[in-house]
Amino acid sequence: MSEMNAPTELPKPKTVEIPETARTLPSGEREFMLDVSTSDLEINMGPQHPATHGVMRILIRTNGEVVTGGQVHLGYLHRCAEKIGENVEWLQYLPYTDRYDYLSAMNNNLGYSLAVEAVMGVEIPRRATILRTLCAELNRIGSHLVAFGTYGLDIGAFTPFFYCFREREWMMALFEKICGARLTYSYIRIGGVFNDAPVGWLKEVERFCDVFEEKWQEYYDLLAVNHIFVKRTADIGVISPEMAVDYGLTGPMLRGSGVDFDLRRDVPYMAYDEICKAGVFDIPLGTGEKGTVGDCWDRVYVRLQEMLESIKIIRWCLGVIEDGPVIGDIPKVIKVPPGEAYVGIENPRGELGHYILSDGGKVARRCRVRGPSFCNVAVLEQLLPGTFLADSVAIIGSTDVVIGETDR
Amino acid sequence: MDFNSIHQRLLAINAPGVLSADTPRAADPEDKADKGRAGEAFVLIDRSEALNFLLAVRDDAALAFDMLVDLTGTDPDAEDEDLWLNLHLLSLAHGHRLAVKAMVPKSNAVVPSMVAAHMAAHYHERECSEMFGIHFEGNPDLRNILLPDDWIGFPLRKDYEFPKEYHGVSCE
Repeated sequence: MSEMNAPTELPKPKTVEIPETARTLPSGEREFMLDVSTSDLEINMGPQHPATHGVMRILIRTNGEVVTGGQVHLGYLHRCAEKIGENVEWLQYLPYTDRYDYLSAMNNNLGYSLAVEAVMGVEIPRRATILRTLCAELNRIGSHLVAFGTYGLDIGAFTPFFYCFREREWMMALFEKICGARLTYSYIRIGGVFNDAPVGWLKEVERFCDVFEEKWQEYYDLLAVNHIFVKRTADIGVISPEMAVDYGLTGPMLRGSGVDFDLRRDVPYMAYDEICKAGVFDIPLGTGEKGTVGDCWDRVYVRLQEMLESIKIIRWCLGVIEDGPVIGDIPKVIKVPPGEAYVGIENPRGELGHYILSDGGKVARRCRVRGPSFCNVAVLEQLLPGTFLADSVAIIGSTDVVIGETDR
Repeated sequence: MDFNSIHQRLLAINAPGVLSADTPRAADPEDKADKGRAGEAFVLIDRSEALNFLLAVRDDAALAFDMLVDLTGTDPDAEDEDLWLNLHLLSLAHGHRLAVKAMVPKSNAVVPSMVAAHMAAHYHERECSEMFGIHFEGNPDLRNILLPDDWIGFPLRKDYEFPKEYHGVSCE
C-alpha cells in the first residue's frame, strides 16, 4: 500500500449539462428532465439465487434498467447421469432417474421404464398400466403446484406458495403410503410397478380429487387473476409459436404459445390412447386472455389448468382399475436384447426422452436422457434482451426450470 | 405415418444423404451368434448432408419434421472406428417420429452444425461436442455447457480415462 501514490489532485467536478428536454409546468415554472448516463453492466445472477430455482447462473448484461443480453451457464449440478447409466445394471439405474427432475420422479421412472421395455418388448399388466398413469398424473399435479407456488414467490406473492404446499403435502403422503418415499419414489419399475396400492389408498386418492378441485379455485382467485400478478406477467416474455417450435420447447412452454400438441394425445403411450378416445381430458392452450399469446401469464395458466385435467385422468383411472398383478414376468437380473429405442413421454415440463442402446448384456451401452428443462432454458438467451431487469425474474420463473434436469 | 411410409417418402423426395434404413429383426435360428435386433427403426444418413437432410424433411409437407427433439452422440465401443450421431425428429402436425443416425469417424469427427435448421440444435451440439469430441462446423458458440471450460477428454467416449486429479484435488 505504501508504494501506492496518493492522489495529488482531486478530480474536478464535471459541469452538469442541462438537456434540452425541458417542459413548462402549468404553474409557469420550467422543469428540466435530468437523466443519469448509464453504460453496460454485467451482473451474475446466480449460481445461488432464489429465482434460478437451484444452481443456475445467468450472466445478465444491463444498461440501466434494460437487459441487453443474457447468457445461461449450466453444469453446476452435473452428476454424470448418462455415464452412470453405462456403468450400472438396468434396474440399478432407476433410482438415478428420480434425481434429474426431482419434482416429478414418477414421470422420470416411467420414461426410463418405457424405454427399456420398448427394447425388451414385455407385456405390462393392465393394473400396473393404470397405476402408472394414476401416479404419473398425481405427480404432475404435485410438480405444477411447486411450479405455480414458487412462481408466485419469484413475483413477490408469498401466500400462494403455502396454499400450494398444503395440497402437495397430501400428494406426497399418498405416495409415501404406496411406495415409502416422498420425493424420489423409484415406484414405477421395468415391467410394471413394484408394489400394489395398499387397502383404502384408491379411496383416499378419490377424496384428494374432490378436495383438490375445490382448492384449485383458491389458487385461481388468489394468484392467477390477481391484478398485480397479471400486471407483472401479461405481455412479458412473449414466445411466438414459430420460436417455440424452432427452439424445441415442449410441454406447457409450447402449449402456452398456443401450439396444440401434447404427447399424451398425439404420440400416445400406455393407456393414453384409450383415455383420449374416451374424451376424458382437454389440452389447455395459451390464448392471450390477459395479454399476448405466449406470454408468462399464459404459460402459468396452462399449468394451472393442467392440474384440473390431471384430476380428470385420475378419476378415469379410479373408474377402470381392476384387480390383477402389478408387475410382469421380469427376471431379477434384467438382460435387454441387443437393440435401441427412443421413447419420449410428456413430463410436467415437456418431453422427457430416453435413448437406450443395448448390446444384449446386463448394462446399457448408451443411456441418453433428453431433459425438457435443458431445451426450455435455451430460449432465455433470446427472450431476455430488451426486457426490464425486474421482468427477467418473471421470465426465468415462467420457464419452470429444474436444475437437476438441465444438468443431469 | 409409420416408419416404412416415412422411408418411402424420403426416397421419393430424394432427401439428401439418405443411405439406408435399419429395422428391428428377429434372431436367425440357424445362427447361434445372431441375437437379432430389437427396439425401433432408424434411417442412416451421410453425416456431411445432415443439415441439408434436416432442412429437406422439415420443409416437405408430407413429412413436416418441424421439431428437432434430440441430438446426441453414441460411442458404441472403444474398438469401433466410428461414433454415432443420433437425431430424433418429431412432426407436430402429423404426430410421427423419426430416428436418424449418422456415422462419424473418430479420426475426423466433424459434422456440419444444424443450428441453421433448428435453434434447438444449439445446446445439444454444445453438449455433444464436449462429451464426444464431435466438432460441429458452423456452430456460433461451441463452448462447454455442462463441463468446466478446462476439462480434459471426452467423458462419454468408451476409451475415456477418469482423471487422477482436478486442480490439485485428488479424485481417487
